[in-house]
Amino acid sequence: MNHTNNTQQSNDARHDDDAALTEFLSSLMDYTPTIPDELVEHYLAKSGFQCPDVRLIRLVAVATQKFVAEVAGDALLQCRARQSAVVKDKREKQQKDKRPILTMEDLSKALRDYGVNVKHQEYFADSPSTGMDPASRDE
Amino acid sequence: MSHGGGESGRVHEKSQHAKRKSGSSGDEFAQAIAKIAVAQICESTGFQTFQQSALEILSDFTIHYISNLGKLAQSFANLAGRAEVNALDIIQGLEELGSSQGFAGASDVDHCIASSGTIRELVQYVSEAEDIPFAYSIPPFPVVRERKPVPSFLQIGEAPPGEHIPAWLAAFPDPQTYLQLSTENEGAADSNTRKIELAQLHKKIDRSLLNLQNFASNGSGGPSSVAAIRGSEAKLAVEGNPFLVAPLQFGEKEVSHVVPPAKLSNEAAVRNPINQNSLLGNHMSVLDTFAPAIEARKSRLCDSEEGQKRVLLNQRPAVQFKIGIGKKSVGTAQELSLQNKGVEKIGPWHGKDGEKDDKKKRAEKILKQSIENPGELAQL
Repeated sequence: MNHTNNTQQSNDARHDDDAALTEFLSSLMDYTPTIPDELVEHYLAKSGFQCPDVRLIRLVAVATQKFVAEVAGDALLQCRARQSAVVKDKREKQQKDKRPILTMEDLSKALRDYGVNVKHQEYFADSPSTGMDPASRDE
Repeated sequence: MSHGGGESGRVHEKSQHAKRKSGSSGDEFAQAIAKIAVAQICESTGFQTFQQSALEILSDFTIHYISNLGKLAQSFANLAGRAEVNALDIIQGLEELGSSQGFAGASDVDHCIASSGTIRELVQYVSEAEDIPFAYSIPPFPVVRERKPVPSFLQIGEAPPGEHIPAWLAAFPDPQTYLQLSTENEGAADSNTRKIELAQLHKKIDRSLLNLQNFASNGSGGPSSVAAIRGSEAKLAVEGNPFLVAPLQFGEKEVSHVVPPAKLSNEAAVRNPINQNSLLGNHMSVLDTFAPAIEARKSRLCDSEEGQKRVLLNQRPAVQFKIGIGKKSVGTAQELSLQNKGVEKIGPWHGKDGEKDDKKKRAEKILKQSIENPGELAQL
């Protein structure tokens, strides 16, 4: 008895889950993800993903969008944290708060949590003799 | 030097740009679109401006994410014995990608995929986030070009040439496309081949000049190279180039005889001021200058040095000597350095470098060395 009850319950649960999933997929058709369908289709086709269903493409697009939004959110937190640390010293809050810029620093810190190591150059020189003593340069 | 450095930097950039453009030419469009989409997402998150490199990295990261998700989903589908991907495969892929970050219910081993924590999070995100469509409308890409297959023999209606070729195979191309054209054709495509021929010819002449120089000084391996040169020159008679005219045989042309001076060394005699006009007027072939020397070698005069001197003096007095080490004198530079003592007197000719033909300069240089070499030998 218990067993059948359990299975019945699990069956219902499964139906609910499926129903929820189907509902979600159909709702995706109303929501337009920021990442266009053509782009997602192109890269999925490159990696061997074969599916004629548009809803699945939308699913991937939405998942990617959420992921990128998470990363951007983390980077924004890093940016704000850096700004607040500076503000304590200098009290120039208004100057920096207006425009949060996505910098390499914040991005690399945010991506580190996702297992992506991003290291960037500190600076680039124009020519091999940049920054050298002018006497040692031959004009 | 900073100016030069800057310019070289720019040139380097340009070449890098060109390389980048030509390398991943198919993907540039998709990458640009990805950049725009990512910028829009970041804008909705709160950023207002981006660093160029940061945006590029993030868009590259996004592309990798999409590709990875596709690969994972496809592998899960294949694992289950299917060729087409399911929604459940995608959710499994999402779970795997999100396992590093963690999601609700990740530790449940037996949970139903449909009720996965990732989906719940997605549902939450969709309900909360604003609906920001992509900024531009994109045509479906990549554009697939219709390929016209080569028509088969059956389609053309031809009988295949030979019994071993079945008729359903593609037909052979037009014989005109692969048969060699006659050289009298002066079409536009031929000018290129002519240029290539000329370049090869110049190379041959350079080589032959070097050979002759070595030959005149060492006296070894002469006849074979000479024969080759004669043959090649006779073959390629291009109009307008005096060096490519067929060489004159010994005795064909009347050459004035010069009485050799009493002294054995030739340096004084040869360096007399000479008519420049006569040289410019006489388009002597290279072989012409060396023909007597070659003949002398062949006839094996007993007194080789004297014979060489006499024979070389038989040349027309249109010999001028240059100090300058020209760009094309490959092997002559070293020998010139040895004979520096005699070189200073020939100073005034240096300025006329630009007026003369390169070939004539080199011929003169080689001739001078060959003349001065026996002179040195005599002095030894």
